[in-house]
Amino acid sequence: MKAMETGKKTGFGTWLSLRWSTDSHFGTIMVVVALTILQTLVLGFDFDSVGQWFSAWGRNWINILRNNAGVGIIALGMTFVIITGGIDLAVGSTLVAIGAASMMMIDIGPKGFLGNLGISGLPAYGLTIIFALLMGLVLGTLTGLLITKGRIAPFVATLGTMKILRSVTQHFMQGYNPRVPRDFLQLANVQFGGLMFMPIIYWLAIALILVYVSQRTVFGRQVIAVGSNERAAQLSGVNVDRVKVGAYALTGVLVGIASIIQVARIGTMDFANAGSGYEMDAIAAAVVGGTSMRGGRGTIFGTVLGMLIIAVMNNLLNLFGVPPFLREAAKGVIVIASVLLQRKQNV
Amino acid sequence: MIKMQNIWKSFGSNQVLKDVSITINDGEICALIGENGAGKSTLMNILGGVLPADAGTIYLNGKPVQFANPAESMNAGIAFIHQELNLINDLPVFENMFLGREIRGKWGRLDLEAMMEKTAEMFRRMNLELDPRAMVRDLDASYKQIVEICRAIMMDASVIIMDEPTTSLTEPEIRRVFQMMETLRDQGVGIIFISHKLNEVMDICERYMVLRDGELVAEGKVRDVTTDDLARFMVGHDVRTEQLTRSVRLGEEVLRVEDLTHRTAFRKVSFSVRSGEILGFTGLLGDGRSELFQAIFGAEEILSGRVWLEGREVKIQSTGHALALGVGYLPRNRKENGIIKDMNILENASIVTWPLFAKRGVIDKTRQQALFAEQREQLGIRLQRITDSINTLSGGNQQKVVLAKWLGARPKVLILDNPTQGVDVGAKEEIYDIILDLAEEGMAIIVLSSEAQEVIRLCDRALVMYQGQIQGEVSGITMNEHDIMRLATGGLLDAS
Repeated sequence: MKAMETGKKTGFGTWLSLRWSTDSHFGTIMVVVALTILQTLVLGFDFDSVGQWFSAWGRNWINILRNNAGVGIIALGMTFVIITGGIDLAVGSTLVAIGAASMMMIDIGPKGFLGNLGISGLPAYGLTIIFALLMGLVLGTLTGLLITKGRIAPFVATLGTMKILRSVTQHFMQGYNPRVPRDFLQLANVQFGGLMFMPIIYWLAIALILVYVSQRTVFGRQVIAVGSNERAAQLSGVNVDRVKVGAYALTGVLVGIASIIQVARIGTMDFANAGSGYEMDAIAAAVVGGTSMRGGRGTIFGTVLGMLIIAVMNNLLNLFGVPPFLREAAKGVIVIASVLLQRKQNV
Repeated sequence: MIKMQNIWKSFGSNQVLKDVSITINDGEICALIGENGAGKSTLMNILGGVLPADAGTIYLNGKPVQFANPAESMNAGIAFIHQELNLINDLPVFENMFLGREIRGKWGRLDLEAMMEKTAEMFRRMNLELDPRAMVRDLDASYKQIVEICRAIMMDASVIIMDEPTTSLTEPEIRRVFQMMETLRDQGVGIIFISHKLNEVMDICERYMVLRDGELVAEGKVRDVTTDDLARFMVGHDVRTEQLTRSVRLGEEVLRVEDLTHRTAFRKVSFSVRSGEILGFTGLLGDGRSELFQAIFGAEEILSGRVWLEGREVKIQSTGHALALGVGYLPRNRKENGIIKDMNILENASIVTWPLFAKRGVIDKTRQQALFAEQREQLGIRLQRITDSINTLSGGNQQKVVLAKWLGARPKVLILDNPTQGVDVGAKEEIYDIILDLAEEGMAIIVLSSEAQEVIRLCDRALVMYQGQIQGEVSGITMNEHDIMRLATGGLLDAS
């Protein structure tokens, strides 16, 4: 309504307010731009050697994105789950569980599963990746069934699986450190022109696919319908349970991918701590990107932007030399501030 | 006395109210009628402090007043009972009665006993059999409405706005609400009664005001007019009221149900419906008919019984399964069961057909748009852009969108649960025409309705339910309100 009244006038101010009130991502994009400019200033723009400056700036960005690709991928699945009105607290533990199991598959030590079968090299890597995705699919589907058929609230169900998965993983992995073959690390660390950006490619490719899934497929739209009005969706012939299980299963697969990337990036995993806090970061990215915790509202693009904001903010705090313990506080402030900003738009 | 003078209001380029002036006297029940989208709700929202007017003044007992928010309007003695009730489901009735104005004892302790006692006393005075300690969640829609009205009375309101209070009420309950309204009127309270049921307007109101396209087109004393006059004022031309007779050509049996039994809502229900037939189901509120058809549609569990579709026995597992088999169900209570508020008009109109028109899970947008363009024409859906939010449409148009989503699936059996709920006279006739056309094309149609008139006008025959069982059948030109009422209240028809 406001847009119609102001649309008659022209000028930057009116354009801005028009975009602000009609385009739900506009505010978020502006924040990303503002943070990037700030970050550029902090890095110090140098007129004398633009080329060198640019390459430093680019490296910094690739670092930021690569470090956040794993959570970024998980956040995409989390977005679907939150839109259905649910939540998945177990993503971090699932990541560790899949990571541990995958590492046992390709381990070149005495306990390596595939190694003992005499499979190594590319076939082993391929099998491991397929195994990780399948394990994610199965775990996600089980979570979904627990929530739909078992009628357990998503928060409670995934709180349970979160505890179970990490504790079981730690128990079985105590005192053993699988060794990942060096070639496997190429998956995340292969260099092009001295830059390692594969995880970023994976992240963006998945994001693009999921934008399409969310906007154009029956599943994607049914997710919105279920989250917005579950009863009306059911009475429109939507199989509500199947849609919900689908959202958790999708998240499981994405956690599997993130897990493989994590393993390939570092080659080891700290089973007690890896992935912990990922669930909160993923939720934060979705919420900052405009997904409603009440369900029915949210976009993949928004979540990518939300992840960018959190990532750049982290980087900035780093550059400013803010003590590490205070950085989490900054994240908290971003989440709350962004939701307050969005409230203004959604009147 | 309330006077609204020269009220203007627009939403964007849409002029909703054009220079409307109305007066409501103390001790008077005044009907505010008009088609959906005529501006009734907007006008009342301005009076209730929900919306600001663009221009115009409100006078309360001769003094100009301004309401910046609903609380200010409420404090001035104006109670607005919204169609969507504002009760807290998880609190008992008596706490709802005192919400925001709780009686406190020492140390800020809630004086639950006093609140309960006052509520009980009020219910006694109103001749209501309702336990103040009952949870609101457990009340059916009609009692929730009654609790809302009692709450307004408890607030000593001098003007009460009632937005379609009787939509979900049964005949005896409507009587009770009317009695309360009359009592209040005699105590000097002014009541604005918004309703689509013109018979009720004739029954209870002294004066009427008619809005059409944002203008006050008629007002006067109810005793000087007939329902036909009122309907004509509303739509601007003559309206049919006669029985919609047609030559019935029945085809094969499409749906047959035997001894269907539910845990609580219905038991041992058997019936069948044929292609081209319009079968009515009616009864009082809580007779189990909605649950019966939700069960047939796969949204409720069945304990025992069998269902045949076109001669083949089926076990419908889910609503998606029902859809695939060719059973459609348009639910009652559009807002809770029909509309998905975060989606646009086109999506709301096509959600049912997504899986039908999808290629490898991808929605066929072009086809959906083409289909909806056709339906928009056929159903006369008035809208600005198909990508607008569903919330921008009036009730009648929303209902047509909900209907459209089922028509696209071309079901063999279409179950319509209260298809004209909260829909104005003009749109109602349009929906009747659509239903008749569908039957003509060979669809088997089941209409669930609590309005006997609707059943008589529309259906070839009707089954009347009473406490979860089929009490009897009425059919053909001999159908009448008297027989239906008799069956619905547990009586039987004479053998003759």
